[in-house]
Amino acid sequence: MEDLGRIHQIIVPFFGHNMTFNLEVMIMTWIVISALLCFGFLAAQKKSLLPSPLQVVGELFVVHLFALTEDALGEELSKKYAPLICALFMFLLLSNWLGIIPHLEEPTKDLNTPLSLGIMGFCIAHYAGIRAKGLKTYLKGYCEPMFIMAPLNVIGELAKVISISFRLFGNIMGGAIIILVVSYLTFSIITPPFLNAFFGAFVGTIQAFVFTMLTVVYIAVQVN
Amino acid sequence: MAYDIQTWVSVAAFTGGGMAMGFGAIGAAIGEGYTAASANEAIGRNPEQSGDIFKSMLVGQAIAESASIFALVIALMLLFTNFPSHILSVPVLLGAGLCMGLGAIGSGVGSGFPAGAACKGMSRQPAMSNRLTTNMLIGSAVCQTPAIFSLVVSFILLFTDFSANPVSPTWAAILGAGISSGFGAIGSGLGGGLVAQASCEGISRQPLTVTPVTNVMLLGQAVTQTTAIYALLVSFILMFKSFPATDALAPPMALLAAGICMGIGAIGPAVGEGFAGQGAVAWIARNEKHIADLTRSMLVGQAVAESTGIYSLVIALVLIFVV
Amino acid sequence: MIEGADIVKAAAFLGAGISMGVGAIGPGVGEGMAAAKACEAIGKNPKEAGLLTRTMLVGQAVSESTGIYSLVIALLLLFVV
Repeated sequence: MEDLGRIHQIIVPFFGHNMTFNLEVMIMTWIVISALLCFGFLAAQKKSLLPSPLQVVGELFVVHLFALTEDALGEELSKKYAPLICALFMFLLLSNWLGIIPHLEEPTKDLNTPLSLGIMGFCIAHYAGIRAKGLKTYLKGYCEPMFIMAPLNVIGELAKVISISFRLFGNIMGGAIIILVVSYLTFSIITPPFLNAFFGAFVGTIQAFVFTMLTVVYIAVQVN
Repeated sequence: MAYDIQTWVSVAAFTGGGMAMGFGAIGAAIGEGYTAASANEAIGRNPEQSGDIFKSMLVGQAIAESASIFALVIALMLLFTNFPSHILSVPVLLGAGLCMGLGAIGSGVGSGFPAGAACKGMSRQPAMSNRLTTNMLIGSAVCQTPAIFSLVVSFILLFTDFSANPVSPTWAAILGAGISSGFGAIGSGLGGGLVAQASCEGISRQPLTVTPVTNVMLLGQAVTQTTAIYALLVSFILMFKSFPATDALAPPMALLAAGICMGIGAIGPAVGEGFAGQGAVAWIARNEKHIADLTRSMLVGQAVAESTGIYSLVIALVLIFVV
Repeated sequence: MIEGADIVKAAAFLGAGISMGVGAIGPGVGEGMAAAKACEAIGKNPKEAGLLTRTMLVGQAVSESTGIYSLVIALLLLFVV
């Protein structure tokens, strides 16, 4: 149970402020990133008509996520955004699965990771909206149905960032804490593998998909 | 009149036991009644199948009953265990009772829905009774998860030694933990039941779609459980975080409010997610070709419906960690 | 010793919790109903899936606004009052 609040961090003084670096999250994020880079490199190395297993997995991700983006955004825009969506999904999927391996942790367990991804999606969606509609129409969208509703519309947009990032954080953190507490209560007999299978593999996959899908949907709502 | 601490502990134990069993009886009774009503309707429609329908009614009711049996276990423990005469035993006993009592409502009602739909389905499609029973068992078992969460929280409350903690904010944290898990389980139990009901009905209408319908049912139920998991998360934080001692009224009220906020805030989104899952599963059974479109819009719809539950989680975390 | 300001603060916290908690029920159920009907419509007319999903999202965003009002009130109670 002592693991509950354990965080390794480096504190660097920076012009009178303390900058805190959370070591575990950074290391785990780099593990995910390097694993994905290796995967991408190996899968794309030998492109053949009779694909290697890695190429099959890579094609699976690319084909499905490109189709999904095309459904929501249309053909033209999807060429621009589908690679990003594909990368986002693969990063989230591997991040959420990482906790299944002992001694490794999900980087998404720390609020900073989902929050930064959420803010990234938010910025992209609004950039896409301004590009597609022009600044004037975009700003006019906030004054619906009345001019005085503008502050609430802005809060509504900001609340989307909160809901998308806290959804991922709450699910992964909740799963991790439940696994920890139940393992502690049952002296780690029998149940932890099942819990890991449910929270890590199943819930992790669903939440990675939901996060990706909502990012696509936010872009689509801004564009149209 | 001055009472000693032991008296208050006994008062709390008996009140908690009463609440656990009292609230805990509501859900299972409604769920079982719904199952029996559906079984009667089904037998009326197709009397030849009465044997199968009767069996599946009993099995379904037995599952719906288990939430209530958890409540009975907690109530009996509260009544017949000797608790340490420490002032913090009072919120512990009240919290454990409330948590299990409220937590059994949703699962009891929810488990009744798939059982009823399975009974009706058997009268319509007798050849499918085996698959219907299996599907009903899976669906009802998943509905019980929120009640099991409440049971776990009640047990942790009863068997953790809080006596070293300062009395003033800890009483509110304990009570808040119980309320959060208790209320938080209501919606998820109900919502999961709605999804499972749609899947049993869909299988009986379109027997060929068993596998996709069961899979999407499990997916929909898993998403419906997430608000209960948020409530459980808040409960665990309230129980295991150590709070500094205080004489003021505001810090304990913040912790109590965090529990109330997350608990009640989890009800609506979970029921809504249940509706969304119900709609999607029902139409996947009828239109299997478009399972990908339907699953996707179910997940997006559920995710958006969940956002108010997430706002509750945010407010609860702010109440615990910031103010 | 409990003072007036302390009671006010405690009431504000409790009010914030109740505001967000109870305020989350309605939008959650309503948005779920919208999603259920959207799924039904997609089942009946799968060709229009994109349009239907977008309409569903706009409708949900509108019904969520009361939930956002609750959030605003809760945050005001926590940090301003």
